[in-house]
Amino acid sequence: MHIPDGYLSPSTCAVGYAVAIPFWSLAARKVSKVVRTRNVPMLAVFSALCFLIMMFNVPIPDGTTAHAVGGVVVAICLGPWAAVIAVSVALLFQALLFGDGGVLSYGVNVVNMAIILPFVGLGVYRLIAGRTPLTGRRRVLAAAVGGYVGINFAALAAAIEFGIQPDLFTSSSGVPLYSPYHLSQTIPAMALPHLTIAGLCEAVLSAGVIAYLQRADVRRLVPNHPGIPVHEGDVEVAPGRLSPARVAIGFMTVAVLLTPLGLLAPGGAFGEDAPADLDLGPLGLHTVPAGLEKYNGFWSHAVLGGYGFSNGDHANLAYILSAVVGIIVVGAAIFLIASIVRLVLSRRQGVGQETDEDIAHA
Amino acid sequence: MPDAAITSRPEWLMSGNVALCPCGCIGKRSKGSFLEKTLRGASDPLRQTMFSEDVARQPGILQQADPRAKLIGMIVLLVAAGLVHNSLSLAVMYVATLGLAAGSRLSLGFLIKRVWLFVPIFTAIVVLPATLSIVTKGDIVLQLWTWHGEPQGFTRQGLLTALLVVSRVAVSISLVVLLTITTPWTKLLAALRSVGVPRFFVLIIGMAYRYIFLLLETVTEMYESRTSRTVGAVRHDKAARSFVGASAGALLGKANHLSEEVHQAMVARGYRGNARVIDEQRLRRTDLVFISVAILSAAAIVVGDRFLGR
Repeated sequence: MHIPDGYLSPSTCAVGYAVAIPFWSLAARKVSKVVRTRNVPMLAVFSALCFLIMMFNVPIPDGTTAHAVGGVVVAICLGPWAAVIAVSVALLFQALLFGDGGVLSYGVNVVNMAIILPFVGLGVYRLIAGRTPLTGRRRVLAAAVGGYVGINFAALAAAIEFGIQPDLFTSSSGVPLYSPYHLSQTIPAMALPHLTIAGLCEAVLSAGVIAYLQRADVRRLVPNHPGIPVHEGDVEVAPGRLSPARVAIGFMTVAVLLTPLGLLAPGGAFGEDAPADLDLGPLGLHTVPAGLEKYNGFWSHAVLGGYGFSNGDHANLAYILSAVVGIIVVGAAIFLIASIVRLVLSRRQGVGQETDEDIAHA
Repeated sequence: MPDAAITSRPEWLMSGNVALCPCGCIGKRSKGSFLEKTLRGASDPLRQTMFSEDVARQPGILQQADPRAKLIGMIVLLVAAGLVHNSLSLAVMYVATLGLAAGSRLSLGFLIKRVWLFVPIFTAIVVLPATLSIVTKGDIVLQLWTWHGEPQGFTRQGLLTALLVVSRVAVSISLVVLLTITTPWTKLLAALRSVGVPRFFVLIIGMAYRYIFLLLETVTEMYESRTSRTVGAVRHDKAARSFVGASAGALLGKANHLSEEVHQAMVARGYRGNARVIDEQRLRRTDLVFISVAILSAAAIVVGDRFLGR
């Protein structure tokens, strides 16, 4: 999954760094806030560990190799932000010492393997594990599925980064300048080995480590699972609430990952571009219904109408730009709605607590 | 027998085993698992690193330049290699990297082998399908077969793309290899600091570099101790899977334990969250010249490439 230099255009690499840099600074702040000096040796050792895990390449029939990353395990044990740093450092070693992954494409590799993989993997793990005790069997399954889904999302991201190159960057004679494969070719090519071999490796590794820690050293799981009981009969602490920012970021992540799929879909849905495109024959209609005709195009002030620029230039670029704008707008809306819901809920709870206290005083 | 007189080891331990026929006609040859092979091959990175520390000490153009100047120069040239649209420009850049290697007293054979054996062969395999008309439509240069009456084969556009991608990857890797092999790792880290990588990260990178080898040794020992306790052939069953999971988990536990001990040792030696470096280096005039030459040649390559046509 390591993308070497030369496969991606410098502008794509710049976007990779632009996404990675805020994550790095947030990760550094979040991780060093917990315990200041303790994290440095811990992260160093875990980076070395990730590097070793990535060295275990499993041969794949088509001539390349797949490997586990270990990012999900680190995310489960130490938290996603620690995983961002640990995997990033491991990737830097590979780029500088062994030429595995490039220097310009380092940012993109970090986005795939050090950001998307641990966050998606941990999200799936938490979703499946729920509030089951730390020694429960469901956590092993959750870690396996988390690892599997995480590495596949990372591979999908890499496939998308490859696949948009020939659409965005070609010379005047139509020769692709960077990776020559289109999305329809890169997505199956990356998905196949990762859905089968690499995904399985990451799943076995994640599940194996969690199962071992449950048996031998469950203490190591406690710090990153606040409020989760260790054994079956232990008292459960009240669950933490989803904060508005988390809900909004979660939505935006999913939306960003799914957006490029739209480039693959042919045609429009239900004549959204023009009612004339509708296939009315099977319905026994010969003309577009009057109401549809009248109100279609009622709103003609869209900023990015048809997900593109008004002159229709750079269709794919415009599509991605529209997606970015759309995701930010909807993410902000979700943040607002979630904030309001939280405000209302906390008010209501505040009222309830007061009455309880009143009763106690009485 | 002077050897036998010195050592007190029993005779049977010193004598070699009865050799089985290497062709496999007597006995059964074991192929070994990928895990075993990976572990055996794991000493390679160590050897490579030791080698690069040796090369970094030799006198040469690149060895004399400041690591920061080299790092900045490399990034500028990498961007230039990314921006050019013509294989000819990339060929010029590649020849220039070979010239630099020769000036730095590196063996050209080593650089060529390191670059052309490792990744670009992988790259060439990856881009090979793109040379065919089934992936890249265009003017067919060499017809291989027909499909529904349509001739299929290598296309001019596909071959050009493949040439472009492979040569770009080769130039990029050569540049990175030139930097890393002529710079001691510690100085490279200091250089990362100067291009804006925060101290926190540089510290982690430096420490992780040391622990790679330590953890590698631990993994090898764990595997060896397991195999020494195993009688009979290794099977790839549930027990094998749980062994892999358990050794990864045990390694995680060991790593955690190690990091706690290291932390205590660091705090005991006065670490309070600030890393200090002993030798602050200054950029000399020759380093500024080095950076300017890198920027000018990058600019010349990009401008020259525009003249060649897009």
